[in-house]
Amino acid sequence: MTMERLVFDGAAALTILFAGLMVVHPHPVKSVLAVVVSFFGLAVCYVMLSAPFIAAIQVIVYAGAILVLFLFVLMLLNVGEETREREPRPIQRWLSAVALLVFSGMLLGLLRAYGASAPRSLPAVSGDIAPLARLLFSRYLLPFEALSILLLAALVGAFVLAQREKSS
Amino acid sequence: MIGSIPLGDVLLASGALFTIGLAGALLRRSAISIFLSIEVMMNAANLALIGYGSAMGTREGQIIVFFIIAIAAAEASVGLAIFVALFRHKETIDVNKINLLKW
Repeated sequence: MTMERLVFDGAAALTILFAGLMVVHPHPVKSVLAVVVSFFGLAVCYVMLSAPFIAAIQVIVYAGAILVLFLFVLMLLNVGEETREREPRPIQRWLSAVALLVFSGMLLGLLRAYGASAPRSLPAVSGDIAPLARLLFSRYLLPFEALSILLLAALVGAFVLAQREKSS
Repeated sequence: MIGSIPLGDVLLASGALFTIGLAGALLRRSAISIFLSIEVMMNAANLALIGYGSAMGTREGQIIVFFIIAIAAAEASVGLAIFVALFRHKETIDVNKINLLKW
């Protein structure tokens, strides 16, 4: 077990732990904060997978902007704790049980195939940002520009949706 | 293998994160918590993309994740605006009480 793998596994365990905390915690604000910690763990995972640019984007955009927007809306709407229901929701429980079963099946299959696949010797991707930028601004230039229009459309859409309706 | 991290570890973490997000989306009742669970599922997909991209020695995975994060930002802003509008009409964002389209 090398150092790299140890750090990756630790960060992944932290990510999964706090994601689980998000699901079980009844208070929405605390579950958003748990997801913030979880996404920081995910950023560490990305660094370990030699993708430092994506890790920075994860911290700045996801943890910094999207989740803060979530917190902002939660506090604006003053959402309280979820109350426990009288009758459990049978379909949902059943479906999550199926999801857990599928995941454990996947886990077992993966653990069985663990030693079987020999690692191929591929050139390792360096963590440099310059080749990534070159790719983004040459081959993926059109999607990149389309993205700016999408963000503008989302901006206008959010503005129109959240606007107070005129009382006529 | 990415450096010394086996691809199996990455896929395992990604699968576990996706399952947790799915369970959250099914079990929570506040619309914002469901939305948050969907974000967690999206991040599980991102982790798998980065893992495969690094394992195959290309940067395409990182490019795709970059686009996904930008689209997620747009999606979050529109989704939360919908919740604000919904709260203004119904005074609640509990998905059990929003049953306009339920037959």
